[in-house]
Amino acid sequence: MTDIDRSEPDGQERTGNAWAAASDDSAAPARWEHAADLFLRWREGETRAMDELVRLMSPVLWHVVRAYGLDRALAEDVVQTTWRTLVRRHDTIIDPRAVSGWLTMCARREAWRVGKLQRRADPTEVEYLEPHLPTHESAEHTAGVEDDQRRLWTSVGKLDDRCQRLLRVIAFDDRPDYARIAADLSMPVGSIGPTRQRCLGKLRALLEGDGWRDHDAN
Amino acid sequence: MQTEDFAADAALFARLRSVWEDVDPMPADFVDRMVAAVAVEDLSREYALLTLVETNLAATRSDSDTMTLQFSDGTTTVLLHITQTESGKHRIDGWVDASALAVRLVQATRELPADLGEHGRFAFDGVPAGVSRLKLAVRDEGGDLHDFQTPQFEV
Repeated sequence: MTDIDRSEPDGQERTGNAWAAASDDSAAPARWEHAADLFLRWREGETRAMDELVRLMSPVLWHVVRAYGLDRALAEDVVQTTWRTLVRRHDTIIDPRAVSGWLTMCARREAWRVGKLQRRADPTEVEYLEPHLPTHESAEHTAGVEDDQRRLWTSVGKLDDRCQRLLRVIAFDDRPDYARIAADLSMPVGSIGPTRQRCLGKLRALLEGDGWRDHDAN
Repeated sequence: MQTEDFAADAALFARLRSVWEDVDPMPADFVDRMVAAVAVEDLSREYALLTLVETNLAATRSDSDTMTLQFSDGTTTVLLHITQTESGKHRIDGWVDASALAVRLVQATRELPADLGEHGRFAFDGVPAGVSRLKLAVRDEGGDLHDFQTPQFEV
């Protein structure tokens, strides 16, 4: 892996791309490149390429939208609105390589808008996430992994809402647009990199307090 | 930040993804429903055409303001029951013999999404009179998605 230039604050964009690439299978193209290819093929008349694009990006959009605290039904509506908006306004996307970033940005804007309406309509505590791990066990989940997952989830739950949201959006968006995330979260643009580091730092501190070792991802 | 810190961040984010995927998974069929919603929205798409096989228009015009239409392509069948409501608008109750994932009613100046029920049922309420066409995306028993449209009909 090459060294990452971190000398300038807005080098965050590159960092975001690079970690996503690093965490994926290195032989496969990055998700945003795959999305761009499918989008281009759809525009050129291959109608079924849209189905593949929807299958590729809907899981990402689900997690990005749920990060905004919408309930599950509303989150589904927001993802659906995002796709309909893409079909209707795709000609406003000049560079097809931007399609995955466009989708996550559109989903975040809509989630933020709908979330504000929901909070206004219902001033009580918005359901955030079910605060427990599901009890299902699958073959690939050894007891050790489950234990780690549980610790990680418990620690995430101790972070403030803003950190939880920011980390979740960044975790699933492989081309983070830091200016846009900052606007959505009402944070100054310059603070997003430090905020990310602050949130990660807090999470690590919580994990270490719980006896976690920061080993490689499976 | 050093490279190893960056790699550690990447690994932590990968684990976070996996936790969120576990604790807050997408609803069942979520992705299929999204594919279907896009299918009925996408005008560039070529929809399989269902044809009108039966209408009891003549019979029902006399007894009340209801109409039943049946469309089919030989494999998939759609039934529509159209009722005039007191407001002067119409209610359309529909049924398709497959799992309906997305249904839209397209009129000249508007499109209405259907309320989807179980077992292929769907409904539109408050439909204004006018030339209409139904677009639908369904899943067959084998799990494959199909999208259809009906010919135009008068509500």
